[in-house]
Amino acid sequence: MAPSAPSINSTMSSRMATPRPSSYRYKSEKRGMTYNIMLVGQSGLGRRTFLNTLCEREVISPPEAPNPETANIADPMRFDTYEVNIEEEGTRISMTVIDTPGFGDGLDNTECFKQLQDYIEAQFDEVLVEESRIKRNRRYRDHRIHTLIYFITPTGHSLRELDIELIKRLGEYVNIIPVIGRADSLTVEELATFKQNVMRDIDYYKLPLYNFCWDESDSEALKENREIMDYTPFSVVTCDEVLDNEFGAVRVRRYPWGSIEIDDEGQCDFALLRYILLNSHIADLINYTEDVLYENYRTKKLEVGGFGEGEGEGEEENDEDDEVLGAKNE
Amino acid sequence: MSASDANSAKTQTTSGGIGIANLPNQLHKIVTKKGTNLSIMVVGESGTGKTTFINTLLTTELIEPLEDAARRKKQMDKTVDINIHKAELEEKMFNVKLNVVDTPGFGDYVNNNDCWLPVVDFIENQYEQYLRQEQQPVRKGVVDMRVHACLYFIRPNGHTLKPLDVRAMKAIGARVNLIPVIAKADTLSPTALRQFKKRVMDVIDAQSIRIYQPPVESDDEAMTVRNKDIISAVPFAIIGSTQEVKTADGRHVKGRQYPWGVAEVENDQHCDFKKLRSLLIRTHMLDLISTTEEVHYDKYRTTQMKTRKFGEPKPRKVDNKKFREEEEMLRKRFTEKVKLEENRFRQWEQKLIAERDRLNKDLEQEHNLVKQLESEIEAISNVNSPNGKFFRK
Repeated sequence: MAPSAPSINSTMSSRMATPRPSSYRYKSEKRGMTYNIMLVGQSGLGRRTFLNTLCEREVISPPEAPNPETANIADPMRFDTYEVNIEEEGTRISMTVIDTPGFGDGLDNTECFKQLQDYIEAQFDEVLVEESRIKRNRRYRDHRIHTLIYFITPTGHSLRELDIELIKRLGEYVNIIPVIGRADSLTVEELATFKQNVMRDIDYYKLPLYNFCWDESDSEALKENREIMDYTPFSVVTCDEVLDNEFGAVRVRRYPWGSIEIDDEGQCDFALLRYILLNSHIADLINYTEDVLYENYRTKKLEVGGFGEGEGEGEEENDEDDEVLGAKNE
Repeated sequence: MSASDANSAKTQTTSGGIGIANLPNQLHKIVTKKGTNLSIMVVGESGTGKTTFINTLLTTELIEPLEDAARRKKQMDKTVDINIHKAELEEKMFNVKLNVVDTPGFGDYVNNNDCWLPVVDFIENQYEQYLRQEQQPVRKGVVDMRVHACLYFIRPNGHTLKPLDVRAMKAIGARVNLIPVIAKADTLSPTALRQFKKRVMDVIDAQSIRIYQPPVESDDEAMTVRNKDIISAVPFAIIGSTQEVKTADGRHVKGRQYPWGVAEVENDQHCDFKKLRSLLIRTHMLDLISTTEEVHYDKYRTTQMKTRKFGEPKPRKVDNKKFREEEEMLRKRFTEKVKLEENRFRQWEQKLIAERDRLNKDLEQEHNLVKQLESEIEAISNVNSPNGKFFRK
């Protein structure tokens, strides 16, 4: 499918996120919407440069030169947090980005999934504890992950076991948006074939990605969302330098045989993805996390009765408490 | 010839020439007729362009891309396969039997521990086969599949070698001519590529990974310069393509067409394909073959000969862990099934025994009845005819 859809942008700008009439939301509007993104993918797929290009400045500095002596030992996965304040078409977004260097880089990566799952669940648990405090913290900062951007290696064939396992395991806890990193290694036909194969794999293995069409009430939005889903996974190329030509500053990536314009929708899906993440779908992503994913987790947790182990103020770990909580929150 | 004569042999150059200088020509004829054997192995994660590279190198589609069904099966099966593709190349009356060994599944899974073991085993097995064939009484028709060059495809992540690459290259480089290659080099900008090459070489030095060092010095000055050029390009940055495309200035070249330009395969500014092709085929093929035979195979032979007697088979190594687990599981299942069957048979046997006893009892009862009747008859017949005669009605 030819990657050119200029019409989407114009109709989408009318769908700006309007906050729901709940006091929590209005208050946070002043401070800036709380938005938490996690970047997951093997090293070398452009996570760091993606964030820098997204925020139009260098948020993560280049890593220091690796030590050749320790090249045979894999660094364990870690979680690096970055805080960025963005203003997008009048809305202030207080964004927290969590990078996960070390994912999938070792010889045996089976532990990585559990670590990610534990991290995401920990954020849910924090909210669960906070919700049921007798005296709630007014300045409580929500750390639940609203979007997980997963970078797929551009092999040109189809998904690999690592990709399949990750989406399978984390899809029920977080919105996963698949992205093809370093998409400039694929020609136009190769990219189309690759996208097709990836989507076929996703259907075959029934992988739980973020479904743009989850809210079926608004039919016009549904039509747009269906068009957007045709672009998944989004191809991403990131910016090396900024050139000045007659049209102003252009973000490019230069090769001996030509330059790619990052913001040109005919050449890669970066602009579209940025619009989705920060503009048109930011409210949807947050809503889905809070209304569906978190609620599912909460129900499961309370049914099992495992809740109550956190450091609440004077909360006793017994069944009576859980029943009371269950009744209160109905 | 006496010993003293041999020791004092003088070198004499004959002025007219007796024709010794004709030996290379004779050799040339023999070699041309015999042809040669060349085995190349390609190792690397899926999607690094191994298949495309081989097809580009040979300008023919030797390896076909996988079908969807086959690819899906391979996605999750967690094993490394060894696939051998054979071809016979002929150019100007010279024959080459080419073997290309592919390793699908290498480094493709969540757990890639020891994924280089099948590769290493394959290389050593070829040495072993050759060794055994050499030791046979009849040595004609020897099949030589020893690997002459192993290309390791490094994914260009822009930072450095991954731990998997380091461990695999170390194991492979100790046994065969290892040539590191940067796959899909058209995804790195020139500065990034230079930096990446330097970092890779730093790691190779620091970790004592042995790679193939072609000889530099040669009699021909131009050759020496070209050799130095080739060596400075290691690891080779590769772009592969079998398609002909048109560039912006109208040339038809082999390359990859992007919306922003054409990356040409045979352009030295774009990638090192020509240098690698030169190394593999045009200039250093003989050196690859002879180093394999004289250095790597010889090392293997020496170590084996030290511990094994002539003609003894190789002791079986401890099996692969995964296979051992499977074997254990199979054995357990087998014993369980056998136990189940035995129980069933035992029950059946008991049933049969019970049945037999019952039938025997019935039979006995009948017997007793018959005996009774018989004695009754006798009793009656005795009563009715005291002199033993029957009284017929």
